[in-house]
Amino acid sequence: MKHLLIIGNSAAGISCAENIRKKDKEIKITILSKEDYTAYNRCLISYYLSGDVKEDKLIYRAKDFYKDNAIELLLNKKAIRIDAKKNQVVLEDKTRLDYDVLLVANGASPKFPEIKGIRKKGVLGFRTIADTKEMLDMSLVSPVACILGGGLIGLKAAYGLKKRNLDVKVIVKSPQVLSQILDKESSEMFQRRLIEHGIEILTGSDVQEVIGNGDCKAIKLDSGKVIATSLVVVGKGVTPNTDLIEESGISFDEGIKVDEYMKTNIPTIYAAGDIAQAYDAILEKASVNALWPNAVEQGMIAARNIMGENKKYAGSTGMNSVEFFGLPVISFGMTRPPHPGEDGYEEIVTRDKRNTIYKKIILKNNVIKGAIFVNKIENIGILLKLAKLKVDVSTIKDTLLRSDFNFSVTKDLHYEKEEFYL
Amino acid sequence: MKKLYYDPKKCTACKTCEIVCAIGHSPSKDLYTAIVEDNVSLPSVRVYVGQEGNFPLACRHCKDHPCVNACIASALSYDTEKGLLFNKEKCVGCWMCVMACPYGAVRTDKRDNKSVRCDLCADINDPRCAKNCPTKAIVYVEEKK
Amino acid sequence: MAENKFSGDKATQELRQVAEDLNIQTIWDREVLQTPHCGFGLLGICCKNCNLGPCRVDPFNPDGPKLGVCGADADVIAARNLLRHITAGSACHNDHGREITKAFYMTAKGEAQGYKINDEQKLKVVAQEYGVTIEGKSSPEIAQELAKKIFSEYGQQEGELALIQRAPKKQKELWRKHGMMPRGMDREVVESMARTNMGVDNDYRSLMRQGMKVALSDGWGGSMIATDLSDILFRSPRPLSGKSNLGVFKEDEVNIAVHGHVPVLSDMIAQAATDPEILKYAKEKGANGILVAGICCTALESLMRRGMPVAGNFLQQELAIITGALEMLIVDLQCVMPSLPEIAKRFHTKVISTNPRAHFPGTEYIEFNEAKGFELAKQIIRKAIDNFPNRKKESVNIPKVSADLVPGFTTEYVFDMLGGKTRFTYRPLNDGIIMGRLRGVAAVVGCDNPKMQSGDTHARLVKELLKNDVLVVQTGCAATACAKDDLLTPEAAFKHAGKGIQEICEAVGCPPVLHLGPCVDNSRILTACCEMVKEGGIGNGLDELPIAGAAPEWVSEKAVAIGWYFVASGALVVFGMPYPLYGAKNLTNFVTKEVEEWTGGRWAFEPDPMKMARIMIDHIDAKRKALNLRPMMYQ
Repeated sequence: MKHLLIIGNSAAGISCAENIRKKDKEIKITILSKEDYTAYNRCLISYYLSGDVKEDKLIYRAKDFYKDNAIELLLNKKAIRIDAKKNQVVLEDKTRLDYDVLLVANGASPKFPEIKGIRKKGVLGFRTIADTKEMLDMSLVSPVACILGGGLIGLKAAYGLKKRNLDVKVIVKSPQVLSQILDKESSEMFQRRLIEHGIEILTGSDVQEVIGNGDCKAIKLDSGKVIATSLVVVGKGVTPNTDLIEESGISFDEGIKVDEYMKTNIPTIYAAGDIAQAYDAILEKASVNALWPNAVEQGMIAARNIMGENKKYAGSTGMNSVEFFGLPVISFGMTRPPHPGEDGYEEIVTRDKRNTIYKKIILKNNVIKGAIFVNKIENIGILLKLAKLKVDVSTIKDTLLRSDFNFSVTKDLHYEKEEFYL
Repeated sequence: MKKLYYDPKKCTACKTCEIVCAIGHSPSKDLYTAIVEDNVSLPSVRVYVGQEGNFPLACRHCKDHPCVNACIASALSYDTEKGLLFNKEKCVGCWMCVMACPYGAVRTDKRDNKSVRCDLCADINDPRCAKNCPTKAIVYVEEKK
Repeated sequence: MAENKFSGDKATQELRQVAEDLNIQTIWDREVLQTPHCGFGLLGICCKNCNLGPCRVDPFNPDGPKLGVCGADADVIAARNLLRHITAGSACHNDHGREITKAFYMTAKGEAQGYKINDEQKLKVVAQEYGVTIEGKSSPEIAQELAKKIFSEYGQQEGELALIQRAPKKQKELWRKHGMMPRGMDREVVESMARTNMGVDNDYRSLMRQGMKVALSDGWGGSMIATDLSDILFRSPRPLSGKSNLGVFKEDEVNIAVHGHVPVLSDMIAQAATDPEILKYAKEKGANGILVAGICCTALESLMRRGMPVAGNFLQQELAIITGALEMLIVDLQCVMPSLPEIAKRFHTKVISTNPRAHFPGTEYIEFNEAKGFELAKQIIRKAIDNFPNRKKESVNIPKVSADLVPGFTTEYVFDMLGGKTRFTYRPLNDGIIMGRLRGVAAVVGCDNPKMQSGDTHARLVKELLKNDVLVVQTGCAATACAKDDLLTPEAAFKHAGKGIQEICEAVGCPPVLHLGPCVDNSRILTACCEMVKEGGIGNGLDELPIAGAAPEWVSEKAVAIGWYFVASGALVVFGMPYPLYGAKNLTNFVTKEVEEWTGGRWAFEPDPMKMARIMIDHIDAKRKALNLRPMMYQ
């Protein structure tokens, strides 16, 4: 193999390039990005929006990185088609790039709902530095911001804009915020916390129309209520950027289907990151878990297999860590089991009397399937590992939620861990 | 590289490791001064009650370091000689590393919203917890194969 | 050799090397092995007073325990610990006073062999203070009555101590106002222990009030009784010339060291060693004579009164054996290291323990009894002489290091001397301070500690004080440390002191550093300060005097008790290493600041001798300013 071409200059792409270079200095590596920046910490844009970090902190890999690792970086180049038969990628400007091996790591984009006027100016996704900068510009002229969707992205935007002293209204279709990653009780804790800090949350309502003449001026809810605003953030989840591969012969479902070596159905093409639909270690089925840590791992796995190591991927997981107004939560896996109390499902819960701490673990046949830790988050990583490896925890089940739970409790459970007893 | 190993049978939970860790990572590095410093540093090692005795635990500096993969702020990196490297300046307190650590070895410092983790006392190249453990329940030796 | 703070003293260095060559562990090695000392202990926030615990307050983890199981916070825990320490220290001095009183009583009744009333004048003074009428009574009669009064004062339940009446009116009123006036020595010790039990006194201020009360019962009670009765019994010291350090041992004589605190034993040994019959016995065994030297405070008792040489201070006790030239080490109590018998096994040295309170496995125990004092002393010395032929020449390493010093200053004598040797007056001292020739007086006292560069801390502090025209008084192991640096000689004034002190020392012929005796004689500093107030012109209370105290290398609980009776009496006291209380923020604030509102005294903690001197000088200057004294004559 002579030339590895990577589409996408973020977590998965960089991780792949980096892991190749750790062992191989010869392979030519080219990275293609449609954006204008060297790799940045995408997840930090919400911190940038809130003013918690400055722009310079967003740098993930600076120019030196590409130089030092002999990686050719092509910025502002959008790939529009893959010609798998010719081992070529076609760019927007019609140029064609040859490759021997291709890694598709071009990520995902915000989902925009089919609403009248949704493409008006002032209606933004929250995915890129460009989005964030535009949002910051708009925040100077629009005293009100409306957020469509009460998921993680939407609330992060809401939090950031609230910190910029905007009047923030979150419009949520479901009865609760964060319903994808939390259960009812924990999501209520967050809802309360957000409301206490002045964020208005309109649950059970949806947007019918974005009103305005080219520029967004107001939104109209399904209740008929009209809210004047020039800034609307769409936080309705992301969708993998599959346009690129539609005619390439690469098979895809929700995202690009990959095997446990991150390989697509075409032997010279791998996929990783938010675009990849890999095996979910906890849900035990293929799914897109568009998360930074998964992308880094998948990039690494792809790299090792591109170099012929036959390294299997243990699988991705849905997992999130977030903190709003001093209230942190970490959750992973299933947070709302399909049939609580049946099919071997079991929930164990602990909470403090003042309702500031909440911990819940979901088990199926004594294997951890998911967990939510609110406000006391330390040690949850131990459970995540046990869940990923499907370890039977029946012998230590009663200790899992105790405040003195710690790693040594898992000593007798059989799974591979670093030796650190004498 | 050298690693920290623990012997729960020898650990008396005196917490000397916690104290020398906190002091060693304080600006003054002096017990009597550290105690009155505004933000008294948190120890990155903690002594737990374990199944077979008391159980000190700090970052394992493990080879597959899922925390590095999870870090969204590029504050963490891994060096095959020095172990896990933490650029505290870059940490934003997202707690992704807490989520990823399979040992529960990352602590959260709510005061500056940054994570706290063992740096193997890189400043003196000799972890204070092992150096000062009165019963040698913590030792710093070449990695066991 | 252990890598800890190395004593600058040559004799110590030499013998530590010998110890290392012989693979003998000494206090310095043990100190290294104990390092780091437990941080909870250093911060004073661990409690094992009851079986709910042991408990510790976590100083670093916000989510760690902040209260003991019983609910005591850091301040209560540290204050209870502190009170226990003060109480143990005071108990030591008070019991020492009781021991002297017992010997004094037996002497008065004629039941003590070899002892007599040596200072009848002082006997009468003290007796009157205790309300004993002296008219028409013989000394033994007065002494018996006095002894009984003192004994009953130990168990006194109400009222006030006799000797505390020496204090200025202002201090007594403050003590009464704040409920700190001690009632009886034993009562305060018992009550202190009762208060520190779990769930009794849970207010750190109240605990400290009791701490000062028990400490006052020591300084103005047990310690003062010990000092005064020792003067009466063993004669009041007068300045004389003495020698100190391990070089005092003789190659060709029977070397005996007395170690501990109570002069009842050491004085008798010193006396018996001059007995012709005993000296003859020594000659028969091939020795040219008998050398009795002292270690620790008992050395200073006999140094002051008999000119008995001082072999060393606390840290040097093991080294005395390691000289290989010591036939016998006779110990009583306090500051006697339990390691001595093991080290003695490596040499021919016999270790004799003598006090029913203090037993040491591995020693020969000969209970000392005043009734047969002289006979017992001779019996013990004979054993030492018998041991002389067992000395191995090749094991002898007596360092050729000793220093001269002039000890023997007392409240009655010291400023007598300043007064021109004819009359008892503090006028010249007070005038010296008022005119600005002298800045003030500082006490540099206490133990020597292997954590510090032993001796060096004391010497640097003393020199800095002298340079700033602060007259220095010393007691205990701190004095012995400074003697090694020749600071206790008249010549020291010209080497180290400012011009003001030089003028005074030149006129009077005294050293710039006055040796007042062992640590129990810190009570002399209290009475000397009373005389300064009485003389007039520098304030109406002890707290107004331009004075300060320091114990740079404190070790013992006794040092804590002494520090507290000075703080309670209105003085600034500086400890080199902090007392274990920094983990208790309110208590720290109380002892370093708030207590000043109660007594005028307070604590400071500073290990650096130069900074320590600065703290003391600043305090003295503040007092001078408050008194509107003249600016210093020689700045």
